[in-house]
Amino acid sequence: MAKHSIMVIDDEKIVGDMAKLSFEQDGYEVETFLNGESALERLKERRFDVVVTDLKMKGVDGLEVLRSIKKLYPGVKVIMITAFANLDVAIEALRDDVHDFFPKPVKIKELKASVKRALGEE
Amino acid sequence: MRKTFFRGLKEVFGRDRGAASGLTSRFQAFQAVLDGNNRTLEAMTEMGEKLGGGYLFDVNYTRGAYVTLFSAISGSLRQFNLLTDDRYPQLAEILARIDTLVQRMLGGSASLSSPLVVSYPEIIWDQAEEVGGKNYHLAELANALHLPIPEAFAITTTAFTAFVRHNGLEARLAGLAGAGADGNALAELRRAILAGGFPEDFSAALAAALESMRARLGRDATLAVRSSAEEEDGDFSFAGQFETVLNVPCTAEAVQEAYKEVVASLFQAGSVSYQRQLGYDLGKLRMAVGCVAMVEAKASGVIYTVASGRERDRMSISAAWGLGKAVVDGMTDADLYTVAKGETPRLFSRRIGAKEQMVVNLGVSGIATVETPAAQRPLPCLDETEVIELARQAQIIEAYFKAPQDIEWAIDTNNRCYLLQARALRVEEPDETGSNAQAQATGYPVLLRDQGIVVQRGTIAGKVFILHHLDELEKIPKGSILVARHDSPHFVQAIPILNAIITDIGVPTSHMASICREFSIPTVVNTGSATSVLRHGQAVTLQAGEGGEVVVYEGIIQGLLREERQTAAKLRELYEFRRQKYIMRYIAPLNLVNSLEQEFTPEKCKTVHDLIRFMHEKAVQTLVADAEGQGRGLSRFFGTKTALHRLSLPISVQMLVIDLGGGLRGNPGGKTTGFDEVASVPLRAVLAGMLAPGVWQNEGVPLRGADLLSGMTRAADVPGGAASMENVALASSEYVNMSLRFGYHFNMLDCYCSDTPRNNHIYFRFVGGAAAITNRSRRIQLMAQVLAEQGFALKAKGDLLVGRLSGLSRQEIEGILEQLGRLIGFTRQLDARLDSDEMVTILARRFLQGDYRSSL
Repeated sequence: MAKHSIMVIDDEKIVGDMAKLSFEQDGYEVETFLNGESALERLKERRFDVVVTDLKMKGVDGLEVLRSIKKLYPGVKVIMITAFANLDVAIEALRDDVHDFFPKPVKIKELKASVKRALGEE
Repeated sequence: MRKTFFRGLKEVFGRDRGAASGLTSRFQAFQAVLDGNNRTLEAMTEMGEKLGGGYLFDVNYTRGAYVTLFSAISGSLRQFNLLTDDRYPQLAEILARIDTLVQRMLGGSASLSSPLVVSYPEIIWDQAEEVGGKNYHLAELANALHLPIPEAFAITTTAFTAFVRHNGLEARLAGLAGAGADGNALAELRRAILAGGFPEDFSAALAAALESMRARLGRDATLAVRSSAEEEDGDFSFAGQFETVLNVPCTAEAVQEAYKEVVASLFQAGSVSYQRQLGYDLGKLRMAVGCVAMVEAKASGVIYTVASGRERDRMSISAAWGLGKAVVDGMTDADLYTVAKGETPRLFSRRIGAKEQMVVNLGVSGIATVETPAAQRPLPCLDETEVIELARQAQIIEAYFKAPQDIEWAIDTNNRCYLLQARALRVEEPDETGSNAQAQATGYPVLLRDQGIVVQRGTIAGKVFILHHLDELEKIPKGSILVARHDSPHFVQAIPILNAIITDIGVPTSHMASICREFSIPTVVNTGSATSVLRHGQAVTLQAGEGGEVVVYEGIIQGLLREERQTAAKLRELYEFRRQKYIMRYIAPLNLVNSLEQEFTPEKCKTVHDLIRFMHEKAVQTLVADAEGQGRGLSRFFGTKTALHRLSLPISVQMLVIDLGGGLRGNPGGKTTGFDEVASVPLRAVLAGMLAPGVWQNEGVPLRGADLLSGMTRAADVPGGAASMENVALASSEYVNMSLRFGYHFNMLDCYCSDTPRNNHIYFRFVGGAAAITNRSRRIQLMAQVLAEQGFALKAKGDLLVGRLSGLSRQEIEGILEQLGRLIGFTRQLDARLDSDEMVTILARRFLQGDYRSSL
């Protein structure tokens, strides 16, 4: 069976690096992006099974990424992570059908469990 | 009433203490210190957890968490300074330095002005970054542990920056950061470094250090000039990746040339590859250099303070004739000694190697690898005494760094031993799986079995690549198993593409071995015959087990293969992750452990945790000294007044209680107060102990329960009002400071007893007595035996006993206080009766069993 693919978007390299390492350990295929623009470019080329994105980024932010994905690939689940836990934004994201919403720092185990649920593996 | 009371106190003591002048406000300052310390500890624990590898975090998190921690410790320090009248100004300086170091790591703008050259004895705790890991650790062996190392000085990373700037190389280094660092650019950069000149202040500092070296060692002394990069010997060893120039004459010209060679080695192919694997942006790593006096080595080698994951109680020492290069480069079959660790280390086993080759010192013309004289080969390099002495020193180092160590040593021609390097040794946990391995491998031909030494365990498959020359390294296909005659630190270039390494000759203590462990590359050395048994291009499966089992099967056995490299091991390779984690080095470790030691000084504080520990201890002491002083004054002050609460107890003790808030029930208004009115948890507990049936020793009075005891109130311990006023308790609901004087001895108790165990402490002091000093010290011994059972940290000298205890729950503290109360009562007149040492043991044992008879 082909590996499930995960897209990780965060403007801080360490987040993408750690996420890539952790998910690859579990056998996922992972691509990381440092901004929303480059991620959207890549999404035009291919689909990912799950997208994990930071909320607050310069330029295209997490909500825009979420909306674009929902247009391009309505079935793809999006997990939002953010250092700025803001209820209004969380509600807005939920309305836009975000799969999960985590404040940073996020426990890697919980994120992995959320990805599994998104893929229907759990 | 209270207002008048404290105004009165102020008049009595008349000291100007600013905001913390009153007793209650000083007590509040004390509580604020405890509170600030707690918040700091909580922030510290939280940060430790989040940065531990189990969370995704970013630098915003680290910054925010650090701000929380810093504001808590700053608040604590402010209150502490109020409490102690700014008695420890060093603490603010230390905190400021910690802050500067952390801010620098967080990418803030703070910077320290740093010297260009530092002699080893002058290297201090916060200079790890400036002098590089290797210099720092070696200097610490001498400075902190007083172990023998050669004379040495460090050229700092600040000097490196000055050199780079002086030669206009900044732009070129910055240019490397991208992907555009090809072989030509690197070679060009190395040439520019080798042709570089030195800024004037750099040359002057170097000349001064060399002059001082010549003055101590003579004009003919030579140096080893070696790298000490920022993170070298920290989490990553960089083992063998940078140049070391040996036998450098003690002159400015020679050392400058050697310096440039070492610096240029930052940009060698192997080291560049290593840096990339560690997530460095090329050109960012700064290098300090060490100049260490050469040792005329008769024999040298390496100690691993943990022989393997399964043999943590043993260490291994490898040794070869001549210079240590033979061992660390894995070019000779060295002697291997195994030592059982312990208070007196014991030689467990030894294997004398063939040692066909040795590296010798040719003075200014360098070093050479030569054939070992035939007669010398079978001789052990070390006798048992030397092995044990090395092991003893290694244990000291391991205990100090609180982690397994990889230590290089040499013994000179005068049989003096020197330590040349110490760094953390990576030890793997034993592998508990793999019981069905045999079944999986059935039917596959075995090519090699139980030959060689496992350096890094693991099970992996790949095609054999037999390496004849180092220049073939570039041709190795991805996923190969490298098979070579000798091991070499140059193999690091190929590590990203290698699945495993197997050699004919080599030792588990070589540089290559260190690097294979760092990157979890399964590696077996010293198989004797791998290059002849295995064929180039052959597909094999290597199974290297922790217990030293080695099997090479022909073919690829899928069932044996597992994901070998763990996330934690890989995480360490993320530079940004390490950098943020390093901040914890200035926060979490606790160096100040025993408050009874002379080392317990503000200067010894290196981390936030040390500061907390120091402040807590000194805050308690200050409050105690304060309360004692005020207690004594009070007895004078209140000699004519009746405002103080006088405690009436059914034993021959009179006691004054100053209520700091919640210490007493109701408002007795100066009337006599009894035990029932005592609301202070700790005071109540200690009094309960003192009042326990049978403990209050009184000559000639048969002890038959409470009725009798109450009858004793008439017989005061020390007749005369003034003297009995020495018994004073300052009490709040959760705190008591109590000074008791019985005849000629004093008990002092300071205790905080709340629902937060971290805040809780007992400080107990006992001194004096009327009997002969021998008897008095016997009483101290008896008390010490009892208190030790309760978990006190104790210090006893003559007739003085100091005990400390902290961090226990309220219930536990209450229980201990009751026992302490019983002990205070029991030992009151005991000194005169303790006629033998035997009696001490017997009475202590009986006391612990609840038997309070004071004669045999």
